[in-house]
Amino acid sequence: MPLLHLNNITHRYGKNVVLNGVTLSLEPGAIGLLGPNGAGKSTLLKILMGLITPTGGEGTLLDKDLRGPAFPRRRLIGYMSEADALVPGLRGAEYVALAGELCGMPRKDASRRAHELLSYLGLDDARYRKLEEYSTGMKQRIKLAQALVHDPPLLLLDEPTSGLDPAGREAMLSLLSTLATQHGKSFLFCTHVLGDVERTCETTVILHKGKVLCQERTESLRGQRDDCFRLSVEGNTEAFQARLLEQQITLKVTEREGWFITLPEPMQTDQLFRLASQSGAIITNLQPDDDDLERVFHRLLNHAPAMPTREPTLLPFAQEPAHVA
Amino acid sequence: MSLSLMGYRSWQGKLGSSLRSIWPISRVSLQLVFRQKLYWVLYVLALMTFFVFFFGIYLFSQIDTETITPNRPGIPAQTANKFFVDIKNSIQKDLKLSGDVETYRNFYVLQGYYVMVVLAMAGSLIIGNDYRYGSLAFYLSKPMGHWHYLLGKIFTVVIFTALMTFVPALVLYFECSMLMEEGYFWEHLALLRGIALYGLAIAFVLGVLVVTLASAVRRTAPLVMIWIALLAICPVMGNLFVDRLGYSANWRLIDLWNDLYVFGSWCLNISPVPVVGQRGFIRRQPSLTPVLIVLGSVMVFCLVYLHRKIRAVEVVT
Repeated sequence: MPLLHLNNITHRYGKNVVLNGVTLSLEPGAIGLLGPNGAGKSTLLKILMGLITPTGGEGTLLDKDLRGPAFPRRRLIGYMSEADALVPGLRGAEYVALAGELCGMPRKDASRRAHELLSYLGLDDARYRKLEEYSTGMKQRIKLAQALVHDPPLLLLDEPTSGLDPAGREAMLSLLSTLATQHGKSFLFCTHVLGDVERTCETTVILHKGKVLCQERTESLRGQRDDCFRLSVEGNTEAFQARLLEQQITLKVTEREGWFITLPEPMQTDQLFRLASQSGAIITNLQPDDDDLERVFHRLLNHAPAMPTREPTLLPFAQEPAHVA
Repeated sequence: MSLSLMGYRSWQGKLGSSLRSIWPISRVSLQLVFRQKLYWVLYVLALMTFFVFFFGIYLFSQIDTETITPNRPGIPAQTANKFFVDIKNSIQKDLKLSGDVETYRNFYVLQGYYVMVVLAMAGSLIIGNDYRYGSLAFYLSKPMGHWHYLLGKIFTVVIFTALMTFVPALVLYFECSMLMEEGYFWEHLALLRGIALYGLAIAFVLGVLVVTLASAVRRTAPLVMIWIALLAICPVMGNLFVDRLGYSANWRLIDLWNDLYVFGSWCLNISPVPVVGQRGFIRRQPSLTPVLIVLGSVMVFCLVYLHRKIRAVEVVT
């Protein structure tokens, strides 16, 4: 049974076309849904949840027709919103149990399940605390708990790492990975952050201006940008820059973040070390550039900018960002 | 954040119908209200009328007993009897605590003023906070519709109001059954039906009104001001138009509380036209049909407004 099948789904608000012939077929698993603001992610989520009916096209979610009644479909979904969406005055366990009851669970089951989930998510000590006393990380976890309470096969996660510190983000991503890999949960992870999707999702769907820009295995998407690197260099940096320019390597130098290079197609990283050595420079750090979504979009749209999009700040030895197009 | 050793466990049960979501919404909303000490204080204050009636009825029945007991030591029987009869008449005339239809109507009318104030305060807590803190998106993301949510919230206010009106009136009925003449309970069953209908009408109309206003205004202070203005200015206007300026009695329809009074009088099978003052000045009242039309229209307007308002809430932002 496919998780999601969309055939030419279109949605308009008046004359404004928000989704324009979206066609997708996704198998169960962890799926990243990426797209800039206005790409149509929220509208797609609304359609999946049955909050709106698409103006055109057809589709199924876990074999339920997208034009059919919304409630049976919503019972198969756990939705974790980006906004807080808490009930002030309620305690953690009550909130999660309420979510279960709203989904149709018997009261006792909902309450027992709420306690189980809060333990699972590391909120044991906070289960009797009022929601307004929760930290951002705790709020994100309890939002996940209320989405999981009725044990749905599919989770719709809207920016689940939003507002989290690096440790909290890492923990949330690892939790989602565990849910997907060990407990067979499928999820649709909506975000702007490509790194989060890379970390957790097997498949990535990118929406752009209401259309599917790409639907690929996340690994292959990652592979497309393996030629971008960030490096730190010591020693004769000027000579190394000159050597890079000779080799047609795109280079951008920033004061805060170091050097960004894009290797031409056949070149491998070991050649970089060789060039550095020949120039009397030492590469002290080399890591794949944690690419931002915008660049991926540009690349996919065949408008890849020659330079990374960060604002350059000049190093003392380079009055201009040195690069060769 | 660490994962518990307990691990994730799946749940194998069967999910029930969407209608099952109504009661949890009401229950949780009531919990939230009664967790605030302020509402306990307000609730007790709102029950003051009930206590006056409760002990008044008791006193009324005791006076009956006293008047048939002659020659209490130290007090001449005639004086004592006159004293008790005067008190009894006073109670009968002003508060009408004899356990007849007017007892319950008076109770509802007087209790209504407190109910209005308490509801104004509770409205923002019951529904206003859902808008302010985004809880509405939480509710609507579940397998339930906005009508389930609305019913849950209206049901909350209905229960909350009934606890201050219908339930105490019921207690008064049982008290009268015990203290008044034998067979009171069975002979006045029609009255019991009227009490229930009037009580539910008050609870439902005020429930829908307060939920609508709280959805529109959300914050407590402006909500209280608008609510009080609505239920204080309209009666003044109605009285001015009808009693002072001599306009048609239908002008009193603008006073929703009076509309409920007319409807309640019909439920209790009693004339809604009370004689006021020594000159026998009659407060003219509209007939039942326009009252029902006005109350029905207000309810329909409120429900349509609520439907549109809640439908406009963005669940996915």
